[in-house]
Amino acid sequence: MNQTLALASALLRAGRGRLLPVLLLALAAVVLGNIERTPLHGLQTSQFDRYQRMQPRARHEEPVIVVGIDSQSLVAHGQWPWPRDLIGELIARIQVGQPLAIGVDIIFAERDQHAPALIARRLPPSRATLLSELPDPDATLAAVMARAPTVLAIVGLPRELPGARLPTHPLPNIRLDPVSAAKLPRFASALASRPELQAAAAGEGFINAGPEEARAQSEQGIQRRVPSLVLIGEQPYLSLPLEMVRQALGGGEVTVETGAAGMQAIRIGDYRLPTQANGEVLLHFGQASANYYLSAADVLAGRHPPEIFAARFVIVGINSIGLQDRVISPLGDSLPGVDIHVQMIESLLEQAALRRPHWMPWLEMGALLVGGLLLIVAVPAWRPRYAVLAFAAVGLMLVGSGHLAFIAGRWLFDGSSLTLLLVPSFMALLGNTLIAADTRRRDAERQLQESRVEAARTAGELDAARHIQMGLLPDPEQLFAGERRFAVGAVLEPAQAVGGDYYDCFMRDDRHLCLAIGDVSGKGVPASLFMAISKTLGSTLSRRHSSLDAAVCDIDRELGRSNSAQLFVTAFIAVLDVDHGTLDYVCAGHDAPMIRRGETILRVDTDAIAGPPLCALPDFPYHSGRMSLLPGDLLCLFTDGVSEASNGQALFGGQGLADCLAGLPATSPAAQCRLIRDAVRRFEAGAAPADDLTLLLLRWDGPLNEY
Amino acid sequence: MAYLALVVARNYCLTMMKLPTREQSGVLIAEVSGRIDHTIAEEFTRALAPLLSNCALGRAPLLLDFSGVIYISSAGLRVLMMASRQAKAQQGSFAIAALTPLVQEVFTISRFNLIVPCYANVDAACQALAQ
Repeated sequence: MNQTLALASALLRAGRGRLLPVLLLALAAVVLGNIERTPLHGLQTSQFDRYQRMQPRARHEEPVIVVGIDSQSLVAHGQWPWPRDLIGELIARIQVGQPLAIGVDIIFAERDQHAPALIARRLPPSRATLLSELPDPDATLAAVMARAPTVLAIVGLPRELPGARLPTHPLPNIRLDPVSAAKLPRFASALASRPELQAAAAGEGFINAGPEEARAQSEQGIQRRVPSLVLIGEQPYLSLPLEMVRQALGGGEVTVETGAAGMQAIRIGDYRLPTQANGEVLLHFGQASANYYLSAADVLAGRHPPEIFAARFVIVGINSIGLQDRVISPLGDSLPGVDIHVQMIESLLEQAALRRPHWMPWLEMGALLVGGLLLIVAVPAWRPRYAVLAFAAVGLMLVGSGHLAFIAGRWLFDGSSLTLLLVPSFMALLGNTLIAADTRRRDAERQLQESRVEAARTAGELDAARHIQMGLLPDPEQLFAGERRFAVGAVLEPAQAVGGDYYDCFMRDDRHLCLAIGDVSGKGVPASLFMAISKTLGSTLSRRHSSLDAAVCDIDRELGRSNSAQLFVTAFIAVLDVDHGTLDYVCAGHDAPMIRRGETILRVDTDAIAGPPLCALPDFPYHSGRMSLLPGDLLCLFTDGVSEASNGQALFGGQGLADCLAGLPATSPAAQCRLIRDAVRRFEAGAAPADDLTLLLLRWDGPLNEY
Repeated sequence: MAYLALVVARNYCLTMMKLPTREQSGVLIAEVSGRIDHTIAEEFTRALAPLLSNCALGRAPLLLDFSGVIYISSAGLRVLMMASRQAKAQQGSFAIAALTPLVQEVFTISRFNLIVPCYANVDAACQALAQ
């Protein structure tokens, strides 16, 4: 199962996800090229039918009248076939109205059974004389037909049948090139009317639905194509309705317009009708109407004024349940077969038929390939939602252009099949895009997870570093637990896990307390490493020198030796003679400490002796200053984490610290440190501290009373 | 797409710090402005680098006009210290002028005027440096 999935995924992603869509597009092109052999053909023809249903041919006039031999006529005049003289009378009635041409959609292949001469044969000769003198019905009909242009129906037969008779009115002077001629439907034989009727008719036109009839019937029996020109016994004949128009125009020549692929149009007089290569006309059907159907009985009874036929084409046909043939139009109407002739005449007069020239399938192929390639180029580059929109746009454009082409010029362009054929390609593309998006999302999740693990690991290491850093700092309360001459307290809180501040306090000897506070430039790990070095060197070298000046110069030198990162340290280092209160101090670019003496706050005077930060200026000669503390004095060393603590608008500042010092209760320096630290944090009001905070408080209580 | 925007935005930020320069009496003056703190120190170093590489013996002295700097942290001071050392190594002249009160206070406390020459204003600096 997994292997199948992996194989499918690999196939989908081959060629940067474009191989499969290209193959599917090629397959779609092959299907389109052979669409008539696929189920898609049904979809295509029904799409074309839909165009017609959406916009049927408008029928403004009724140039054709059908005189139907319907049930009412059979009731009035007896069973079919009628005597030929009755049909002759019907035609004569029509002729009074002077129609343009009359078409007879009936084949009179054999003699009229009602002919008196035929009846006479069955009677004794004495009684037959009277009958034999009566006029022959076929002759009567022929005489009527001869009076005005009449066109008789013929049916082309694929092979000689008993009773077959070739028609006698081929089209005169028609020029057919071999390509077109080869594509026209051919019939070896035909069924035509009796010779005397043929002779009386002006022309003959075929009424076959075409050799495609069988196939057309199988496709839901819908009549879409009607042949215009066929070869019967190698002679060219028009269909009945077209022959009627030709006769109405005086029986002139017919021109066939041909192209490389075969026929393109047929021209009768000034009327031109586009055709397929084999001469078939794709009829654009109009809505069916009963208006132009007259009953033969009514015409015979003279119920219609003769003028109704004036300047119109009249088709006489059978229109009775049980006798008629019926066809279904693409509009979904069930029509008598004769209606096809009517639609054909109207189409010719309007010179309108559906157009699907031989190049249309190539145009569709081009559109398929262009649309497909556009998708293949665009979809992988876009997000899935845009890809879906792009496909919808391409589909809409194809389907829309099909409709537009029909509305604009009755062109049959099949946009729906193209859209359908693009679907597999698009699905492959979209599938790949979705897989790619999913992969990206998983990658992003994995990276996030990795970075979380990494962050946790780093945090763990930083935590360890913080423990070590904090372990470097002495705990004054514990260190000077039994001390009664002074008390020291300190607080150090890095802004990050580790920081660059430090403080130190130790007894250099019995009498001298060494205090130091420092601030390495910068923050974080680099500063913390340098802090460790500074603190250690400071404490070691301060013990080695009895002179503070020399110690600081030595510290500066030694630190500078191992300072490739070019960091520097501001520091304040002091030595207190705890018996006398004498304070020696060196200031290296650090804030001057404060002293609370009674109610007042003083600053240690560093102006004269202050130098730059340690390591900032090589070989700077630091000098120490000296002052005396009074018993009860509180010395406060601090870093800029205190003075530059910010609440977003203002800094805590030296004044803030001074106010805080002045208000401290009389308690241990350690507790006082924490009180100041709390005041600073309150001032920051929850904002993240900008810098490391360090405080060192020393209270000198004066010399011990010696009893 | 979002990733691309992030990268673009980051690159934009990295190159955001601009030091507009002008020349006055043969001194190249670069205007620095804003807060020079830990977050911007690296960028400040990068922006200074091309100016510093030209700050050498026989070339125009480099003066940073600090009138627009409202705050400087120890990380910013470190950048100035390194700049000063580089200039000194190249025997060029490097100075700062027109410090705002808060920055002046930082310089006073840290005695950085011993490391980088500071002047009250640009004109005074130009006069001194041009000699």
